Amino acid sequence: MSAEGQVVSCIPNTSKMSKAKKVLEEAREIQNPELDLADKGIASFEELPGLLNMMNITRLTLSHNKIKVVPPALANLTNLEILNLANNNIEELPLSLSSMPKLRILNLSINRLYSLPRGFGAFPILEVLDLTYNNLNEKTLSGNFFQLETLRALYLGDNDFEYISDEIKNLKNLQILVLRENDIIELPKEIGELVRLRELHLQGNRLTLLPPEIGNLEVTNKSVFKFEGNDWVTPIADQLQLGVSHLMDFLKSETYRILYGRYQQNKPQVPPPCIDKAKKASRIR
Amino acid sequence: MFPVNTQDLSPDVPNLKPFMASDLYHRRMANSKAGGLKYLQYGVVGSMSLNNMLCTRCCEGFEPNEKIVNSAGELWHQECFVCAQCFQVFKDGIFFEFEGRKYCEHDFHVLFAPCCGKCGEFVIGRVIKAMNANWHPGCFRCENCHTELADLGFIKNGGRALCHECNAKLKAEGLGKYVCYKCHGIIDDQPLKFRGEVYHPYHFNCTQCGIELDENAREVRSRPGFAANDMNELYCLRCHDKMGIPICGACRRPIEERVVTALGKHWHVEHFVCAKCEKPFFGHRHYEKKGLAYCEIHYHQLFGNLCFVCNQVIAGDAFTSLNKAWCHHHFACSMCDQKMNQKTKFYEFDLKPVCKKCYEKFPNELRRRLGKQHAAQQRT
Repeated sequence: MSAEGQVVSCIPNTSKMSKAKKVLEEAREIQNPELDLADKGIASFEELPGLLNMMNITRLTLSHNKIKVVPPALANLTNLEILNLANNNIEELPLSLSSMPKLRILNLSINRLYSLPRGFGAFPILEVLDLTYNNLNEKTLSGNFFQLETLRALYLGDNDFEYISDEIKNLKNLQILVLRENDIIELPKEIGELVRLRELHLQGNRLTLLPPEIGNLEVTNKSVFKFEGNDWVTPIADQLQLGVSHLMDFLKSETYRILYGRYQQNKPQVPPPCIDKAKKASRIR
Repeated sequence: MFPVNTQDLSPDVPNLKPFMASDLYHRRMANSKAGGLKYLQYGVVGSMSLNNMLCTRCCEGFEPNEKIVNSAGELWHQECFVCAQCFQVFKDGIFFEFEGRKYCEHDFHVLFAPCCGKCGEFVIGRVIKAMNANWHPGCFRCENCHTELADLGFIKNGGRALCHECNAKLKAEGLGKYVCYKCHGIIDDQPLKFRGEVYHPYHFNCTQCGIELDENAREVRSRPGFAANDMNELYCLRCHDKMGIPICGACRRPIEERVVTALGKHWHVEHFVCAKCEKPFFGHRHYEKKGLAYCEIHYHQLFGNLCFVCNQVIAGDAFTSLNKAWCHHHFACSMCDQKMNQKTKFYEFDLKPVCKKCYEKFPNELRRRLGKQHAAQQRT
């Protein structure tokens, strides 16, 4: 099976490559600012001649390719607003990326990132950052990561976080925070300061307790909170059975405040990791 | 001739108890403020010559067989040893000395003893000095509940002596209440606000009809251009309504400048605000929902009509799904950015839309996991 796969990737897929060039030429001809290059078998930017000079483009979609290296010159596309590099083999990003002045949406999901470049938090107007399904943790985020004040959605599902920095409170505009299926053991109380948060995905982690401040988050018909697949202490698990709004009310209560204080004195045992991450496709083999 | 012992020579001088046993002695000793008083007793004239003995009052000598009064070494004719006020012999031999003069008990009380601030009687025994007066312990009581205060202590509350309990009670009642700027009394009902102060409404009359005002009275700036507190006048509600001044739906005060009419009410320009951010619209467009007004941004933020991709207000038809909304032309697969429409089938991944083609390109491991979770969700 695997031998067969290797053989296929060794032979240049001429039909797909020519398609990529065709798309580029077409776009140049009609001055199309949106480039769709998804699933074109691209392994390197070298297969896309002239792309880095197409200053007019506002969207570049390169998902489902085999790209390993992102050239620093990609940052020359200063009008780019949407950059989609989902499902590639990217292991490292250039430092220059965070200087892109108009980039609003950056999709790096399903790649092989073990770290982010220094200064990654410097994007001036980034609104949506998708880092789902990589190999990131709290130690490998860039130091200034939580300066991304303009962020409204942050997708960190399927990574290796055990803790989240209390600096998360700086992401004042955050409406969506996905931490699904990491190894999170504890959440900072500062998440309660994210007043605009309306989506919080915490499924499949190693959480036992929630800081009472989470109760400050507004529960409306527009909000989604996902708590399943954690090893919650019994009082939280019981409330969750009744429903999310019951849990949120409970977190706000004096009872829970006292309970939480006691658990802080005598912390519940940290549950073991729940999924075998060695099987993840994001791991370099 | 030898001086004689007065006690021996005066059988009609009464036999006295030791003066230390007297009530008065105890009282005076207890009250150190009554200094200058001495408690004396008839004494015995010691062995001294009758020739050089003189009466302390009249400075005359004594007859050989005369009864002589000896008081703390001072000698007196019996008829000279009398009250400085009534010139009567001291009853039971008890007297009080004040500033060198001796008084009988009655006159001493009349002249010097304190009078009770409640019953007007002399205070014999323990004197309570409080509220600038003297009191019998039994007469100094809480003005509210009438318990004795002598041993409990008291608190001055508006010129009244109250026990701690009653004081706390009254304080709690007065808490959070306004004090009338005119009579300084507590305003139990609604206060009337006028020129920046609060009053009992009944201190005022309507400028128009003269009726005594109640809390519904309205303050009206009588001449435009004057500062709010300078020229205001008060009108009763009836007269005010006849003047036709609109009332602000937010602050319930009359509107004398620009009037905004919206949501079926009138508003001060600066009081017509977004129900979320509370910023005034100042003529900008507002959006109404369930009787409330919102600014454009908060209306869409609250009621979900900002596009997830462009973060702009959605003009025209919106796609709403997965707790989000999209502009017609921004609704696309989150993986390949291919446009989708109502008919396109898509998968949900972290509440993002993923088209079928892209979902099939997900790593097997991830797909298996998502499949399991989906199945688990179906079961619950």
